[in-house]
Formats: sequence, C-alpha cells, structure tokens
Amino acid sequence: MSEPVLTLEGIAKSFGANQILANVGFSIRPGEVIGLLGPNGCGKSTLLNLISGVFPADAGRVIFCREDITGLGMDRIARRGLVRTFQLPSMPRRMTVAELLYAASARKAGFRSLFRRETDEKAEIDGLLDDLALSHVRHLPAASLSGGQKKLLSIALVLRASPRMICLDEPTAGVHPNLRHHMIGLLQRIRASGITLLIIEHDMHFIRELCTRCVVMDRGAVIADCLPSQLTSNEQVVEAYLGNARQKRAMA
Amino acid sequence: MFQFLVDVLMRACDLMLVAIGMSAVYSLMKFPNIALVQYAATGGVLAIVLQKTGMPVVIAIAFAVLLTGLLAVILNEFLFNRMLKIGSSTAMIGSLAVSMIFSAGFLVTVGPSPSRFAMPLSRPVRILDARITEPQLLSFAIVAAAIGMFALLYFRTDLGRCMRATSTNEVLADATGINTARMKTIIVLISGVMAALGGVAIALKGEVDIQMGMDLLLPVFASAILGGLGNPFGAIAGALLISFAETAVTAVNFGPLLGQVVAFLPVAYASAISFLLLVAALLWRPRGLFVSEVKRV
Amino acid sequence: MSDFIVHVTIMSGLYALLALSLNLQAGFGGLMNFGQIGLFACGLYGAAIAFQFDLSAISGFAFAIVAAALLGWAFASVGRNLQADYWGIVTLALAEVIRIIATNEDWLTGGAQGIGGIRPFYFDLDSQTRQIAILFTVLALVLAAALLCRHLIGGRYGLSIKIMREEPQLAASLGYNTITLKRQLMAVSSVLAAISGFLFAHYISFAGPEQIDSSETFLIWAMIVVGGLGNNIGAIVGAFLLQFAFAFIPFVKDWIGLPTEYVAAGRLFLTGGGLIIFILWRQSGIVPERVGGGRYV
Repeated sequence: MSEPVLTLEGIAKSFGANQILANVGFSIRPGEVIGLLGPNGCGKSTLLNLISGVFPADAGRVIFCREDITGLGMDRIARRGLVRTFQLPSMPRRMTVAELLYAASARKAGFRSLFRRETDEKAEIDGLLDDLALSHVRHLPAASLSGGQKKLLSIALVLRASPRMICLDEPTAGVHPNLRHHMIGLLQRIRASGITLLIIEHDMHFIRELCTRCVVMDRGAVIADCLPSQLTSNEQVVEAYLGNARQKRAMA
Repeated sequence: MFQFLVDVLMRACDLMLVAIGMSAVYSLMKFPNIALVQYAATGGVLAIVLQKTGMPVVIAIAFAVLLTGLLAVILNEFLFNRMLKIGSSTAMIGSLAVSMIFSAGFLVTVGPSPSRFAMPLSRPVRILDARITEPQLLSFAIVAAAIGMFALLYFRTDLGRCMRATSTNEVLADATGINTARMKTIIVLISGVMAALGGVAIALKGEVDIQMGMDLLLPVFASAILGGLGNPFGAIAGALLISFAETAVTAVNFGPLLGQVVAFLPVAYASAISFLLLVAALLWRPRGLFVSEVKRV
Repeated sequence: MSDFIVHVTIMSGLYALLALSLNLQAGFGGLMNFGQIGLFACGLYGAAIAFQFDLSAISGFAFAIVAAALLGWAFASVGRNLQADYWGIVTLALAEVIRIIATNEDWLTGGAQGIGGIRPFYFDLDSQTRQIAILFTVLALVLAAALLCRHLIGGRYGLSIKIMREEPQLAASLGYNTITLKRQLMAVSSVLAAISGFLFAHYISFAGPEQIDSSETFLIWAMIVVGGLGNNIGAIVGAFLLQFAFAFIPFVKDWIGLPTEYVAAGRLFLTGGGLIIFILWRQSGIVPERVGGGRYV
C-alpha cells in the first residue's frame, strides 16, 4: 500500500457563526482521481481553499507527501507540488497567453533567472498550446479569452509548475461542450502521467469518465467515500442531492 | 493643563470637518481624493477674497462654501467619475493632478503670500488658565454647528438615511429604489461644503497660505482612517486623537530623560508624529479604531 | 544658451534615472510608490553627509546604496496585504517623515539650510569641460540604466513581475512569493533612485530638504504617466519632455510679461494638466507598454 499523497485530519473551519466544515478527514493515494461532490453549500470549495492555502483551517491537519503543510501560504504549498485552479479564473489583461505560459514556471522565472541563460521551452509551450487548441490565440491578451478557454489555460498553467497533485475547482462549469471534450482529454493525459487529481464537479458524466473514487460531502462533513458506480445506490448521497429537490417541489 | 486641552481641541477643529468630508467621500468613491484638501483651502481663500470685495463676512463664508461645494460636484462629474472607470489608482493620481492645478490657481490669483480675514482686533479671553481668542471661539462655534447640522441630517432625516445606505452598500441601496446617482452627488456636495467650512474655520484663526491644503493632507487622511472610512463621526475621534498626539509630542519635556533641564522636540515633529500614526493605522488598524462598515482596505 | 541647454539635459538625465526607477515600480510592478523622493534622498544626503563629515565620496556612495536598498526593501515589506492606493499613502507619509527629519536634524543634515559646497564631479577640470564631462557621464548612465531595466523586465523575471502586478492570486497559486518579488523590485529600483540623488548632490553641489519635497515625487509620476507607464523609453521621454518644458517656462513668462509667481504656477499647471490629459485621453502615454512580442511568442 503506497503512502498517501494527501491526508486530511480533523479539518474544521467556521466563518463567524457559520460552521462550514466539521471534522473532515480522508486520504488520497498517488495516481487517484478523486471526485469531490456534494450539494451547493456543503463546503467543497472551502475545503479546497484550505488545502491549497488560501486561508488556514481552524483545526486539523493537512499532510502532503509526508509533510505537514497546515497553515502554509498558497505560494509555498504550490512550490511543494500541490497546485489548484480557480472556479472563475481571472487572467491578466496586459500579458499574452504565450507570455503567461512562459511565466507559469515560477522556479524558472525567479530572481536568479536574471543571471542564467534561459532554457528553450518553446517546443513545450507550443505543444501545450496545440493540445488545448489555443495556438490561434497565443498572441492575444489572456483576459480576452472566453470563459472555457480560460479554464483550459489555467489547467495548462498549473501543469507548467510541475506539480505532483492538482486540485480543480469545477473545471467544466460554464464550459462549452466542444471544449469540454478537450478538457477531458487533457485531464486523462495528466492522469496517465502519474499526477494525482482532486476535482470538484457536478457533471456526472465527467465524473464517471475520469474519477477513480468519489468523496461526497454534505453540510460540512463527508457522507460517502466510494466508487463512482456506487454513488446512485448510496442512500445518503441520494438524499443529500434529492432531499433538496423534494423540498423545492414541496415549496412550489 | 487646560491650555493643553484647548490647544488639542483647536487643532482638532482644524482637521475635523475636512476629515468628515474625506471619510464620507472616500468610502463612497473608493479612492482617496487628494483634491478634497484643496477644497478646504479654496473655501478659506474664497471667503477672504469675497470679504475683501466688501461682502459681510457671514455672507462671504456662505457663498464661498457653497461655491466650493458646487465646484466639487462639477469636478466629480466631469473628471473623477471618468477616471474612476479606469481604476481607483488612476483616480488617485488624477486627484493629485487636480490638486496641483488648484495650487497653480492659488498662486496666480492670490499669490504666494498668506491672506487673512479682515477681523477686528480683540483681546484674548481667559478661561481657567487658558487664553482663547475670539476668532478661536468663532472657529470652534462654526465647527460645532457644522457637525451638529450634519449629524441631524445624517441621522434624523430620510435623506441622511439614504446617504448612509448608499455609502454602505451602493448596489443594495440602488436595488431598494434609492436614486444612488443623486445620493452620490449630494454626498460629494456635502463633503465639499464641509471641507470648505473646515478651511474657513482655519482661516478665521490666522492666515491662509497656498500650502494649507497639502499640509492638511496626511493629518486628514490619518484622522479619517483612524476613525474608519465610511464612519464620518469616527473621523471626529480620529481628528482628536491625531491632534492630541501632535500637541503632546511637542509639549512633553524630555529633558529629565536626557539629563537636561529642558528638551523639547521641534514643532515640525508634530506632523511627523501624525504621519507615523497614519502608517501605524494603515498597518494594524486599517478599518479604523471602531470597526466601520467599509470592508475594503 | 548652450550652457543652459547642457544644464537642462543633465537635469533631464538625472530625472530620467528617477523616472526609470519609478517606472520599474509602478509601470511594471504596479506599485504605487508616492515616496520615491525618499529613496532619492538616500543618495542626495548620503553624498552630502559624507562630505560634511569629511568622508570619501565612495563611502558616501556605499552608504547611499545600502540605505536606499534597505529603505526600498522596507517599503515593500510594509503592509503585505495593503491595497495599492493605501500603500501609496503610507509611502508618501514615510517620505515626508524623512524630509522632516532632514529639515530638523541640523547636526546631521544641515537642517533647513542644507549642506552646501559639496565637491562637484571632475573638479579638476575647468568649468566648461566639466559640464561636458558630466553631461556625457549622465547620459551614459541613463543608457546603462535603461539597458539594466530592459534586462530586468525583458526576460523571465519580467514576466514574474508582470503576473504579480496583474493577478497576484494567480501568481501565488503558481508558486510565486509576491512579497519577495516586490522587495527585490523595490530594492533594485531604490538603488537606481539613490544613484540619481548621489549624482545630483555632486552636480548641484548642494543638498537641502526642499529638494526632497513630495511635489518632486508627483513630478516624477507625471513624467512616467505622460511618457508611458510600463515602457522604459517612455520614462526617459517623459523626463526629458517635462524638464525641457519646465526650463522654457521662465522664457515664456518673460515673453508674455507675467509676474514671477507664474513660473511655479506654470510648472504646476503643466504637471497637473499633463497628467489629466494623458489619463483621460491617452492612458498609455506617449510610448505605450508593449504587450506580447519580444522573446515570448
């Protein structure tokens, strides 16, 4: 049994009087593709923000590759190989797509790069742009891309940081079906290269195609941890989603 | 001792009205409008100039203050709103540029030498152990009256309620049917008027020179930020605190500490103290001493 | 006349160094530094104090560089999460504190009188040749500084700076420590500003607090906005343009027959007016920032 890549223990987080997460804990093994599911408001995004260092947890630990990263800032966690994308990616207005991809490798672009000769990464960048069908927009300011293109671009950007694990926040939300196909292909290739993935998603088709395991949350706690195929037969999961639908019908 | 308190109060009065204007408008427009302190200078200078043309001093002040308020609205409409669309940093630089043009205007109209009101000479009054001059009392009265009227407006009228709503959350206020564009204009007008009145209050006590505006900038910022942007009455407390620090720092005799009979900090360090307080406020208490409703820092 | 032109060119070159420095911070890095003149002061007073205390010019230079780097580093470290315009106010306040200290600590800085008689560069040459020598030295340094800035910004590091400016959260999520980047940028550009100050002291042979007033910072801002934010050539163009314009204002004033106040007013009007015009109608300045192109296509 290989060492888990990411372990969460007893994670708790409140915002004022609202307890968003209470005693969340699970492990992710290398190479897995975890689908993090749950109805709106269950705490998925908050958990992702906690793991990636946007803000610290009130309690609990986050252990990444045997290192306790609890409370570290986003940049330090990213440098250790745990990166993430954002649900609504905000892209620079005064940088082109190509420039942004070149900039995405923080290790290669620090102060020391001023004194070193630059490595030629054109082939790699060209390859990425082709893979994502973004070659034709490489000279445009990154902010002028469509929402779906930005989401693809953000996955490409985190890839450039040579990560060991990528957390994706609703990668297909608002993405045109044509681009969705590109994204699934890209993520499958990423999975094949050995990178572990944690994906917040609602699209069941997407989950069934990609995920090796599903962790379902409701109201700040993990209610199920199973295979994608077992989701529909899990009573708690069904109630967490459909329970809301029943309430909606009752109010209509 | 009482003299010390009087000094603190007088200095605070210099800052209060402008700081209230700054606090109200900063939270609304979401950028620091450097030109506001020049409105104060304009109010003072204009009132003096109008009095020189023969107007009775009260009428001169009223006209000066209203004209400055109108000027504030015009500048906002034609310049600052457009700059704000580009960005708040751009608007800040733009307000700096406008402030420079004000300075240029002062230089060519009233010239570099200071101006003063034509006031009859009077002997200072003695209250307890402090000497207070009539202009100082008049100045204080103006400041107190202005604050009182503003408080009445802000807290007791429908208009004030709408103003508070617009300052706190513009989008929500708009959604409840408040004409936020008109509210904004009114708030800009009032802040211009308050700043101008503040300038008049300073002018009454002594002389006004063209540097007056820029000299007020950092202490007024400090007062407004300490009081919490968006909380105009917090600015009063902020002004008192800044004034206290400034007066205390130059009034304390550090002699005994240094083994001398007398050792005072030079007067210029008074402003240095308020600047350092401003830095401290921005670093540790950017939301003000009493947490205001404005979240953005 | 040619002496005058040489002088204005030298001054333009010295301001160009300041403009290049501020452009690194504000144009490329998005850092709204309103305390730029405080960094210049490290160089100016480094030279002056070394002269005052009979130390070698080299030690003055070393002190200036170290002080500027530390001060710039401190500026960047202050208020890690402070919004751009608030940070601008902090830097303005800190630079003003430096000026107040310079004005009051007579024993160190000569107080309000400043320190005069600083030995100029190339003092063993006659005054005609000296001017030419200084001219070529300054122009060579401007060229070197421009090349340095280009190297800094044209490569990968420049991309890191840009992404820090545009999308700090994205930058952090890719592993960038934005505070470290800001500190590095401020330290390097501060040294550049201090070099300008050091040269200035040894050219004018005088260092005084009126040279480090906040209005100087505002002037440098006007230079980079008019010249083109985020473009090194633009910064140089802006510096030369405004300096030459300023230099000819007294001639225009005499030709029209206006009183002396109009010189200072003219400068203020030009600076403020130029800023407003460029903000509203040509935001990218005379030489716009280049987006894309270069090595990274």
